[in-house]
Amino acid sequence: MKTGRTRGLIRRPPGRALTLCLVLLAAFLGAMAARAQDDLRCLGCHGKPGFRKTLPSGQVLDLFVDPTPLRLSVHKDLSCVQCHADVNEVPHTTMPQRVNCKRCHYEGNTMGAPQTSKYLEFDKSVHNLALLAGNTKAPLCQDCHGGHFILSGSDPRSRVSRRHVSQTCGTCHIQIYGQYMESVHGKALTMGNKDAPVCTDCHGEHDIQGPKVASSSVNPANVANTCARCHSKIVIMKKYGINAEQVSTYKNSFHGIANEFGVLKAANCASCHTAHNILPPDDPRSSVNPKNIPKTCGRCHPGANANFAKGRIHVDPEDRSAGIVYWVALGFKILTLSTLAGLFIHIGLDLFRQVRARKSREAVLPARPTEENEP
Amino acid sequence: MSDSGARGWRPTDTESVVRGVARGLTDALNHEMREDLTEDQVERLKERLAGSLAADASAGVRRVHHAFLDQERRHAKSLERRKRREGADGTVERLSLHLRVQHMVLFASTIILIVTGLPIKFHDASVSVFLINLMGGPEVTRIIHRIGAVGLTCVGAYHLFYSMAFEAGRRDFGLLIPRPQDIKDFFHQMGYFLGIRREKPLFGRFSYIEKFDYWAVYWGMVVMITSGYLLWFKVLAINQFGKSIYDIAVEAHSDEALLATLAIIIWHFYNVHFNPKRFPGSLTWWNGRMRVEDFKEEHALEYEEMLRSGGLEHGGQEAGVRAGVSAEARRESP
Repeated sequence: MKTGRTRGLIRRPPGRALTLCLVLLAAFLGAMAARAQDDLRCLGCHGKPGFRKTLPSGQVLDLFVDPTPLRLSVHKDLSCVQCHADVNEVPHTTMPQRVNCKRCHYEGNTMGAPQTSKYLEFDKSVHNLALLAGNTKAPLCQDCHGGHFILSGSDPRSRVSRRHVSQTCGTCHIQIYGQYMESVHGKALTMGNKDAPVCTDCHGEHDIQGPKVASSSVNPANVANTCARCHSKIVIMKKYGINAEQVSTYKNSFHGIANEFGVLKAANCASCHTAHNILPPDDPRSSVNPKNIPKTCGRCHPGANANFAKGRIHVDPEDRSAGIVYWVALGFKILTLSTLAGLFIHIGLDLFRQVRARKSREAVLPARPTEENEP
Repeated sequence: MSDSGARGWRPTDTESVVRGVARGLTDALNHEMREDLTEDQVERLKERLAGSLAADASAGVRRVHHAFLDQERRHAKSLERRKRREGADGTVERLSLHLRVQHMVLFASTIILIVTGLPIKFHDASVSVFLINLMGGPEVTRIIHRIGAVGLTCVGAYHLFYSMAFEAGRRDFGLLIPRPQDIKDFFHQMGYFLGIRREKPLFGRFSYIEKFDYWAVYWGMVVMITSGYLLWFKVLAINQFGKSIYDIAVEAHSDEALLATLAIIIWHFYNVHFNPKRFPGSLTWWNGRMRVEDFKEEHALEYEEMLRSGGLEHGGQEAGVRAGVSAEARRESP
């Protein structure tokens, strides 16, 4: 039966399969043609270089669209009106609105968009909150991901790739972008270093939240853990000669402990190293350069003098490089252990003797229970 | 007692009485007078002599009288103390009220410091977060910690003053200084524990165990108070002494805190609470008293000393005999 059916399929004339193929091809070509026709209608105007409109306010809108980037993007198979869905007549009677990506991008869509609800994270982000508050400059999806030339984040040409995302953020956050590009992180990025953190590594992607929000990765309570994602990894830190214990020494310091117990005014990593301006201590511009340390410490501890810059800040008493602190810690460890051992032995012997005394007393005077302890 | 006699004496009368006697005395001095004096002058000179003698004598009498009363009062006080020391209930005073108050302030401050301090050392433990929040959060506990610190500093400073300015303090401090005998006692005790020696060592007012306890606290206070104030006034400390001194203070404060806490919980609590002889706890810290049998056993030498000086009747039962002890014997005993 099984073999018969197989044989039957092979022997069947190819007519029906061919018909199916042809129908599919026709449908595909038809769709292509329809799309091409749609797009041709749009490009009739928008394809002309120099096509522009002057608004009553005097603002000039460049309305020229080069179709090439779209054809190279992940949306290469979409026609204009699939995204610009509110455009249905030419010339437009109403001003076309900004594209709503959620038409396709939701979990369970049948349009072939990635099955993810990641975009929902955007709802609680600082950008969406600004948008809801009426800030017209607040970014939508396309402001970061690009309009027509949308590529996967893993594509190095993408606006949201590791290489380019900082630049993308920088289109609005210009000043911070300038600081970041001067910092040790930005420099490393420019050098093509794949470990270098970009904006989204610290701030998150869709769910970027302001530092005042408790769940934000850059909230004072979470900064150390955010930095620790790289700075406590020996594999990464070893490459750059940075001590991977910096995070744990911070967490064991009074600053770290106060922070852990919820005193958010206590210093976190960024309080001393700054957030975007991070520079190595040997850089004279660095906030942790010995020359600048009195000023940096003085922001919270008024009156700090040059002594604050002498010696290490991140002291690890377990490590020999801590110098005298290591020896003090070791001395106390030995003192504590030997004292406790001595005390335990003394107590043990005392109890041993008391038990023996009681036994021998019972042997002599078995009939008389007594509380006296004298042998 | 000569108290009643002293009470009958009225020093205000002295001058007139002495004046009468002195007047008679001056008559005997007639031949000392210069011949060129008139009868009247001789009379006035005698009067003046008598007055001067009377004034001197009454001042002297008054001074001796006061000194005598003072001495008697002190005497009565020390008798009173003695009486308190040896109660009729078969106990003796081990710790004076003075020392008890010092001990209470010390342990109250120490408990405050431990419960607000150790959670910082063990900040990874969830119980630490719970404790800190229970006490009002880190901003409150740092204030409480500093209140404890001030308490500890005050009792430490007062104890230094007490050890120098008070006779009892000086005496106890002297007895607390380690001596070679303590090492001998220690090995004797070890021998006793192991059954090599039949008798326990005999201790004076402070055994080597108590001396260890005392000097452990002494060392701990010096370390904790010094490092604690360096941490409290950190900017000043770093500005003045450098960061490495501050780093050492951080480490020492944290490590000594643990050592002190463990020593108190293991050693001190064993000696005063968990030792089967003491369980569930000695009340000496509260009423200062100790049973005479325990005293005889644990401070045999001090007991003997007290017997010899008459400070304590055998068994501590007959309270009345004490009054008969001679003043010399009392003064000999420190």
